[in-house]
Amino acid sequence: MVRNIFLSLIICLSTLGGKMFGRDGNLVLLQSLEGRWQFSIGMNEDWTSPKFNDTSWELIRVPSPWEDEGYNGYNGYAFYRKKITISSKYKDRMLYLNMGYIDDVDEVYLNGKKIGSTGSFPPNYSTAYNAERIYYIPVEFINFDGPNQIAVKVYDSEQEGGIVSGDIGLYGGKNTVTLDVNLQSAWKFQPGDDLRRKEPDFDDEGWGEIFVPGKWENQGYRDYDGYAWYRKSFVYKTTGETEKMVLLMGKINDLDQVYVNGTLVGSTGTFPKRPGEKVSTGDQYLAFRGYYIPDGLLKKNEKNIIAVRVFDSGRDGGIYEGPVGLLTQTKYIDYWRKIKKEDDE
Amino acid sequence: MKTKHFKLFILFLFLFSTFSSVRAEDLRRIVSLSGSWRFSIGDDSKWASPSFDDSGWDQISVPGKWEEQGYNDYNGYAWYRKTFRISDIPSNSPVFLVLGRIDDVDEVYFNGTEIGKSGKFPPDYKTAYDRTRKYLIPSDLIKENAENVIAVKVYDSYLEGGIIEGPTGIYTDEDNELIALNLSGKWKFQAGDNKGWRYSDYNDEGWSSIEVPSVWENQGYEDYDGYGWYRLKFNLPQNFTTGELYLSLGKIDDIDDVYLNGEHIGNVYDMRKDFGYRNSGGEYNTRRVYKIHEGLLNRNGSNLLAVRVYDEQGVGGIYEGPVGIMSAENARRYKNRHHNYNGNRYDSFWEYMFDKFFGNDNSNYDNYDNDF
Repeated sequence: MVRNIFLSLIICLSTLGGKMFGRDGNLVLLQSLEGRWQFSIGMNEDWTSPKFNDTSWELIRVPSPWEDEGYNGYNGYAFYRKKITISSKYKDRMLYLNMGYIDDVDEVYLNGKKIGSTGSFPPNYSTAYNAERIYYIPVEFINFDGPNQIAVKVYDSEQEGGIVSGDIGLYGGKNTVTLDVNLQSAWKFQPGDDLRRKEPDFDDEGWGEIFVPGKWENQGYRDYDGYAWYRKSFVYKTTGETEKMVLLMGKINDLDQVYVNGTLVGSTGTFPKRPGEKVSTGDQYLAFRGYYIPDGLLKKNEKNIIAVRVFDSGRDGGIYEGPVGLLTQTKYIDYWRKIKKEDDE
Repeated sequence: MKTKHFKLFILFLFLFSTFSSVRAEDLRRIVSLSGSWRFSIGDDSKWASPSFDDSGWDQISVPGKWEEQGYNDYNGYAWYRKTFRISDIPSNSPVFLVLGRIDDVDEVYFNGTEIGKSGKFPPDYKTAYDRTRKYLIPSDLIKENAENVIAVKVYDSYLEGGIIEGPTGIYTDEDNELIALNLSGKWKFQAGDNKGWRYSDYNDEGWSSIEVPSVWENQGYEDYDGYGWYRLKFNLPQNFTTGELYLSLGKIDDIDDVYLNGEHIGNVYDMRKDFGYRNSGGEYNTRRVYKIHEGLLNRNGSNLLAVRVYDEQGVGGIYEGPVGIMSAENARRYKNRHHNYNGNRYDSFWEYMFDKFFGNDNSNYDNYDNDF
């Protein structure tokens, strides 16, 4: 439904305007990552690690098909690695790694943690050579003002291979709201539907992991449509007065119900009352979710659980666009007033 | 068989027409509230108070979608506030706050007191985006020649939001001039159905309070369809006009049975013999005026009016005035005003045909118990 939304939004920067909340049309280049990267053909899981010593590796130009860089005729696995410094002045922005177009399949790691994947490696091989890779970097993975290791695992099936084109770099969102609790990070994820999953004490140990925001198709759930649940546990650290809080859930494809500590706080779209009933979806996937949390529901300086029930009617699915996190109502109002002012000028 | 199918088809048409039954067109506007209102996103119960200082708030045009006024992509809660003066409150007439269409849910405060709501806020969210908002302002809340404050809490689920479409203003019902004794205001209300509820000696103390006229959905019965009973105790003023009297109940959605001091005095189907009620399916839009039989009113003590209402679907209740007692002369004027009453029951051949074929009955309402 929103295939290539990132690409089209970046192209349509001017028409969409820079006002919409968290739209990736707002992304600005902070640091270009084009140029020489460490490169090796082959595949070894240790190569994702920041500790791995790649000084003996060759240097290769990015972006460029590896066929043009001395690896003519090579098909199969290869790794790209690069160390970068991310300035702490970007701490309050949402940061994205744009890896351009990769032929055919990739998996990207920052400091040894996976931040995104597109296409599917063998044995269930599926190419995604025509998709631009823009991955949100969870803030907790970043070592601000220090070295950060990027590692890109690539698989090429035939013809050109590698990070072949694009505007490779570190990008930041404009107009980012300062979240009191940033929830853009790894969440627990499980396809299927079961309302017991909303309970705070539900056991999600065996669940998979997924990055939020990001469509699930890019994270190992290719071609999955239907129900799925997300769960995240977090501590709301505060010493301040009790204030009304707003939970931003960004954009979700297609419908969602959000539970905080087992209580429904908001929903977009209508879920069927009985299982098996037809679900109707329209343009709910475009709605920006900001749910007001009832007073007294959030536990201060203690563990809280958010559970999100999602229904995807087809194609792209999941919590696909940020921001995702908690902030005070006062900050939220200020944010919208600021947007309004920019709009008036 | 053929007739039956045709009947079903016509029923279908009328069911569609019953959805938007609250209209402001029979009302007269006394204050326009279109224009600039104070606005803030978010939600705080303190914002309902007339003393809250909203001078730091943003300003927004009403009616209008907030998406088109700098709040593109915003979904969730927001409050609107408006301060206004009114110099001439019609006496003996109900005064309404009309806010037009609100997307999706609202709760309205007049000088700090909640006067009505439509739809349901999350988590049990239910939209009422297609309903025109018309709330009766209790007469003790409105202040003449002083500032009045309206505060509207709105929730928008997604897409366009806010007080999006007029009319917006303070309205009165001109028909009320024809009323000798105004009976609009607070009544007792109970959902359900019970034969005993018609009698004067039934104790309705435990019933809830409801504003008449106004749909019950505005007053806490959001999803309610089926039977509901209204009860009102009233006394006639001293030296109240003698002679033939009529009870006007305005419009009721859908079917009513009216009891005065325990006796049945009318039902919407009586209206076809007189005026107004045109054909089956149009019950909700029919003005009720029932003759009060000589000797039924207690001139020196209390009287009990009990109205049994059956609502098939959508909004329900005694929703549009005038509500009160009229002289025979004014009842005739009232009929003339609204139905071009000229001794002929039918405005057109087609109405006559509808009537002929669809009968003097309530067969559209399968669940309505007419042997009550």
